[in-house]
Amino acid sequence: MRTNKFGIRIAASALAMAVSYGAHAVTDDEIINDHKSPEDVVSYGMGTQGQRYSPVADLNTSNVQYLQPAWAFSFGSEKMRGQESQPLVKDGVMYVTASYSRMYAIDARTGEELWQYDARLPDGIMPCCDVVNRGAAIYGDKVIFGTLDAKLVALNKETGKPVWIKKVADYQAGYAITAAPMIVKGKVITGVSGGEFGIVGKVEAYDANTGDLVWTRPTVEGHMGYVYKDGKKIENGISGGKAGVTWPGEMWKNGGAATWLGGTYDPDTDSLFFGTGNPAPWNSHLRPGDNLFSSSRLAIDPDDGSIKWHFQTTPNDGWDYDGVNELISFDYEENGKIVKAAATADRNGFFYVLNRENGDFIRGFPFVDKITWAEGLDPDTGRPIYTEGGRPGNPADMDGSKGETVLAQPAFLGGKNWMPMAYSQQTELFYVPSNEWAMDIWNEPVSYKKGAAFLGAGFTIKPVNDDYIGVLRAMDPKTGEEVWRYENTAPLWGGVMTTAGGLVFTGTPEGHLKAFDAKTGEELYRFNTGSGVVGTPITWTMDGEQYVSVASGWGGAVPLWGGEVAKVVKNFNQGGMVWTFKLPKDRIASK
Amino acid sequence: MKILAPILALLLFTQAILAQEIDDGDKLLNRPAERNYDVILESGYLKVGVYQNFPPYSYQVDGEPKGIDVELGRRIAREMGVEFKVHWIVPDENLGDDLRNNVWKGHYLAKRRLADVMLRVPYDKTYAYMQDSTGEYINEQVVLFGPYQQETWQIAFDPARLDSVETVAVFQYHPIGVEIDTLPDFYLTSAFAGRMREKVRYYGNVAEAFGAMRSGEVSAVMGMRAEIDHELSKPENAQFKAASNGFPGIGKQVWDVGMAIKHTHRQLGYALEAIVDRLVRSGEMNELMSGQQLRYSVPGYYRDFLDEASLARAEGRH
Repeated sequence: MRTNKFGIRIAASALAMAVSYGAHAVTDDEIINDHKSPEDVVSYGMGTQGQRYSPVADLNTSNVQYLQPAWAFSFGSEKMRGQESQPLVKDGVMYVTASYSRMYAIDARTGEELWQYDARLPDGIMPCCDVVNRGAAIYGDKVIFGTLDAKLVALNKETGKPVWIKKVADYQAGYAITAAPMIVKGKVITGVSGGEFGIVGKVEAYDANTGDLVWTRPTVEGHMGYVYKDGKKIENGISGGKAGVTWPGEMWKNGGAATWLGGTYDPDTDSLFFGTGNPAPWNSHLRPGDNLFSSSRLAIDPDDGSIKWHFQTTPNDGWDYDGVNELISFDYEENGKIVKAAATADRNGFFYVLNRENGDFIRGFPFVDKITWAEGLDPDTGRPIYTEGGRPGNPADMDGSKGETVLAQPAFLGGKNWMPMAYSQQTELFYVPSNEWAMDIWNEPVSYKKGAAFLGAGFTIKPVNDDYIGVLRAMDPKTGEEVWRYENTAPLWGGVMTTAGGLVFTGTPEGHLKAFDAKTGEELYRFNTGSGVVGTPITWTMDGEQYVSVASGWGGAVPLWGGEVAKVVKNFNQGGMVWTFKLPKDRIASK
Repeated sequence: MKILAPILALLLFTQAILAQEIDDGDKLLNRPAERNYDVILESGYLKVGVYQNFPPYSYQVDGEPKGIDVELGRRIAREMGVEFKVHWIVPDENLGDDLRNNVWKGHYLAKRRLADVMLRVPYDKTYAYMQDSTGEYINEQVVLFGPYQQETWQIAFDPARLDSVETVAVFQYHPIGVEIDTLPDFYLTSAFAGRMREKVRYYGNVAEAFGAMRSGEVSAVMGMRAEIDHELSKPENAQFKAASNGFPGIGKQVWDVGMAIKHTHRQLGYALEAIVDRLVRSGEMNELMSGQQLRYSVPGYYRDFLDEASLARAEGRH
């Protein structure tokens, strides 16, 4: 038996052939209809609108207790840290990314590895916020993902060999990519991550087949956008019309507004929806004005990158309230009319419902228990009404003392952070993974940077309640009512998925994949994956059975910060796995 | 003795291995050996942490490390009788990050990359003993010691565009260049209720700002004195002048610059401190600076106890 080396190799390649047999090129139509096709997951968001709603009801509230593990897959090596990926599934193959810019193709039936790709990261790279990757895009014969050194990598989906690699931005200037790219009309659309080093956010489109740049759209007012045709770079209008309208002096030149969480796409209005990060520099007193398009949502034309409309959630942000959180398209009926809406749960603690055709504010309400920095939203415009004294002080006014400490709630990690929420077409509720925490901000009496005196802010993040930080909430977008809540000891950091089976799935840093009753919030299922879950679950059907998958591996931004919150999470072990579950055929109730 | 010999040989061998860094097979996860004083002497080299691309303190010309911090590192290594090895530091958002990434813990993408000693670390007791909200000392993992220079702020201007810089008020009317995300950036953007804000132009570093002054984009540049002096010493900047204005409203007008080591390596610290103390007092530190056309100020630390004659010797004032 021990001479069977060749036998194993043959078996493995036969398997690879069996898997590739029947595999075909992924088309634009398949991607646009992803939310209607239960047998695959070919977009980040389980549909380009990002609803993360599956129409499959085989697995439901009455049988979820029979959900059982089918296989588990280890990412291997000692590289661990946060696994924030959402897997894709196509033709019986799972494509999943992992920390440190790695990608795997796995036989979705057996959990056997087909190939692995490790991006070669340069020495001295300093990504700002952990080494996570949130997922891939799939198109034609390629799978495409972004890397920590700010490149897009397109791999042949059968072999894992690179087809093209394009530099999106310069990692040495502080850029990186951690979000999943998306495919719209044959183009790969991506944003960029970046720290405080005077970067300018942008959204870019690349030809999915060749990797050629098609258009680029800066997300800070005053910067020129371009389209590329026949090798020529053609001006396509300045973002916001002209420079210096909502920024003082020349500060628009380095305005921040990083598009670090990617976007969604709505075919009804033919719009890309991208969120933008906080403005730079962090000290809001240096930049009086709204500082567009920081902390905003932008509707962008996928053909040429023009901005159709914008909605700013935190003008002149002074709390690090990035506006990157996903904007999810959904329709609802009101007074007999269908409203084409889109919703987002912002870091700043407010939930916004917008008209997705023109960006008009429909309504907004807090989705966290308390907001200190604003008294509310203007009912007509949605602009925040700032609380007096709620803004951190100007460090330039300081005279060597610590100055006044300002308590702000939510903390800078947000009422909700990157982890995507889900919308159920069945219950018409949004399921929002949120956190209840606050921060103290003060001006540091002594601060240094690169050998020089500096003006810095100090801050500490702290829980608001003794026994929980995370809250999974069911929110009614029409009334602002919290229909139910589930409280979790550790902060929630994983994405959410909901199904026509009346279920809501999410993971916890304690390590559980959990399923809740979408109507009542009753916990119906839990499985311990062995490490914290900060990935986003998916579901699909294969061979007449319904599957659920989620990446497991504790990390992300939470453990990078100290203070009281660190005490809650410090004993969680790292990991790096994909867990896949299924409901066996005989457990499906007859229809 | 026959029995002992192999054991002795083994011991010697083990020591040689200890002096090397530990390679556990994966580049990302290798941990450095505890490079304490004895291990450094044994290994025959000293890894000196200096900032990358940071003239005149530490930079490269044709692959060769240059600058006053590099020269100081070389001098220290020579006095210790070991080889100088440069450890380039990519600056993070603040000093605390740089100390964590390069002195005591290592960056999570390159945990093995640690310097034995880091230079250009502000020597400030308030900073060193800063406590967090729970009362813990924030910088307890490092020792800040051995001040070797005092740094301050400086403006250079173009006399063709400005007669003089009596006060910074002229920058309500004349454009001035700064390195982005530095104190000069924050100061000129916010001081006097932002009255100079419209005239501030932002560049990646002081050299780029001087380039903008040569092309007439700005009339002046603000930076650290050594950075400004270094630019002014270049032939292409000969037409520019150093200003003598004050900087009202800046909390930190001057600060001492020294070194940092991991707190468990104090024996190394004492050795380095003795070397640097001699270089400062003897005036060799001043010679090192003036050799590169940079003005030298003795750290404030020494002003508390050195007499006028000693200070004059240290600063080369004869």
